[in-house]
Amino acid sequence: MTSQPLTVHNWSRAILHLDVDAFFTSCEQAVHPELRGKPVVTGLERGIVAAASYEAKARGVERGMMIPQVRRVCPDAIILPSDYETYSLFSLRLFAVLRRFSPEVEEYSIDEAFVDLTGLRREYCGSYELIARKINATVTGELGIPVSIGVSLTKVLAKIASKWNKPNGLTAIPGREIHLYLAELPLEKIWGIGSNTAALLRKLGVRTALAYARCSEGFLAKHLAKPHLQVWHELNGRSAHPIITESKSSYQTISKTRTFTPPSHDESFVFAQLSRNLEDACIKARRHQLAARRLVAMLRTQEFRDAAIELKLNRPSAYPADLFRFLREGFAQIYRPNVPYRSSGVVLAGLVSARNLQYSLFENATQVEKVGRIYQAVDELRERYGKHTVQHGSSLLTQQRAQHESERGDVPQRKTNLLPGENRKQRVGIPVLDIEV
Amino acid sequence: MKDMKKGTIDHTKVQSRVATLKQFYQRKGRMPSFSEMAQLFRLRSKGAVAKVVDQMEKQGVLRRDSTGRLIPRSVNHSLRVLGAVEAGFPSPAEEEIADTLSLDDLLIENREATFLLRVSGDSMNDAGILPGDMVLVDRGRTPESGDIVVAEVDGQWTMKYLRKRGESVTLVPANARYKPIRPQRELKIAGVVTGVVRKYK
Repeated sequence: MTSQPLTVHNWSRAILHLDVDAFFTSCEQAVHPELRGKPVVTGLERGIVAAASYEAKARGVERGMMIPQVRRVCPDAIILPSDYETYSLFSLRLFAVLRRFSPEVEEYSIDEAFVDLTGLRREYCGSYELIARKINATVTGELGIPVSIGVSLTKVLAKIASKWNKPNGLTAIPGREIHLYLAELPLEKIWGIGSNTAALLRKLGVRTALAYARCSEGFLAKHLAKPHLQVWHELNGRSAHPIITESKSSYQTISKTRTFTPPSHDESFVFAQLSRNLEDACIKARRHQLAARRLVAMLRTQEFRDAAIELKLNRPSAYPADLFRFLREGFAQIYRPNVPYRSSGVVLAGLVSARNLQYSLFENATQVEKVGRIYQAVDELRERYGKHTVQHGSSLLTQQRAQHESERGDVPQRKTNLLPGENRKQRVGIPVLDIEV
Repeated sequence: MKDMKKGTIDHTKVQSRVATLKQFYQRKGRMPSFSEMAQLFRLRSKGAVAKVVDQMEKQGVLRRDSTGRLIPRSVNHSLRVLGAVEAGFPSPAEEEIADTLSLDDLLIENREATFLLRVSGDSMNDAGILPGDMVLVDRGRTPESGDIVVAEVDGQWTMKYLRKRGESVTLVPANARYKPIRPQRELKIAGVVTGVVRKYK
């Protein structure tokens, strides 16, 4: 049974999955070449590990670990504040490079992409594996970051392939060889199968990915839900998850969180953080012409205890002025005095297109339009002079702390070591190499 | 010549019609319907209006939204950009300006592979690269002899001219106070310098 292929078609489709190895720290090593081969950790400003280089992982550093603990397990670790601006630039470049090879690119996350290569063999005069090799060479050559690539017939299989041999891996799984890769693969390693589903499957006598792939459709339909059935199709080489090429226009939710160091129990300061989260989230929503129907406010205490509240808005909006009323209400319910808080967050949910919004019956349409015009002006000012040129008074307190941050050395080098003409808010959109020549 | 005339667009007529549309839009705050346009343009059928609208769409004066309704593109505010509509036949100067390069386009050939680097040393002074300058480094280019490259030589970073002669590779400075470098163990070229930016003010 194990020798029987799952499908006789080798390449009915060719889907590539690419994943940057240790993305944040790899970006750091790309712009600071002297950090290559060394244990590097990012997340200094948050006090916990956001990313660890392979060298750091080998020394026992894990994601989410507290920084003092990192210093204990790996005393020579280079611990850096996160430089999200640079990471975003690398991310944009990554997707741009992939689009040179195929127009069908799905930006799955900041450092992960799916690319549909079907039919491109003729164009590149070679196998899909060869195209994957070219992609690998281009990304590592031009961007200087290591990637792991998997190519197979479906997204689920491509993801298994890219994880097969990390870091710097390249694995191609043609249809006739799928069963060889699934034979020993634990169920949890399949994209879309969680630990609960895996436990249930084991109770039903299904123990490996291959056994799962060989289940009958009727059996799965009886015990599992539709998404798991789609995974089953994908494992058998039949595509059920299309490549979504729209570049990040359909956000299901938009969230913005901030950790402030040191923690604070100052009520107005904590609210200012939340207010800034809301402003940031709304900026992103407006950029994608979306409006939220629900708002979630979250606070996290120094002891990592979370409190959150979800609020329903009277109408979809991406204007903080409309939302502050709800935010204050929610804040009053979750905030407890004299408790030190370490981070805050806002989630905009129930997103709808902001292009043709309906006003509710009892609303003053001119008033709503007026608010819209104000934010249009705010957005224009932002584009011209940088983020938060104009901001809400309730967010002002966050800036005092920002100055403290730079004194503590928690701000990435890129933001302190400015090029001529740059300022604190706006820098050139090109990664800067930190090399002494 | 007759055939040519058939395909070309009568610009003065289009202009006057755009002006009419503009007036209507400013007065009523909306676009006219096809039958209203027939009246405005003194056309007898909506089919004729459709042709005119098509023409305007091609010229970029009008746009349609996803439901097929008309959106003014230049009628309302960006008339100045089109210039042509207000000031008669487009002047050659206005036509040309649309095809200019930004400084970015001029300096950067391969956007994804280009990095900035601030120069600290003076070993390339005579090549016109001074301490404090920003150089653009292209990681995607194959370095050729004569290129200025950023390279790691035996564990040390440097920026020099690359000289290849047969099998031998030398890194040559542009400053008499420095000596050419012959890599002993290893030479890794990070990228080719494609431009220098110096900002005085």
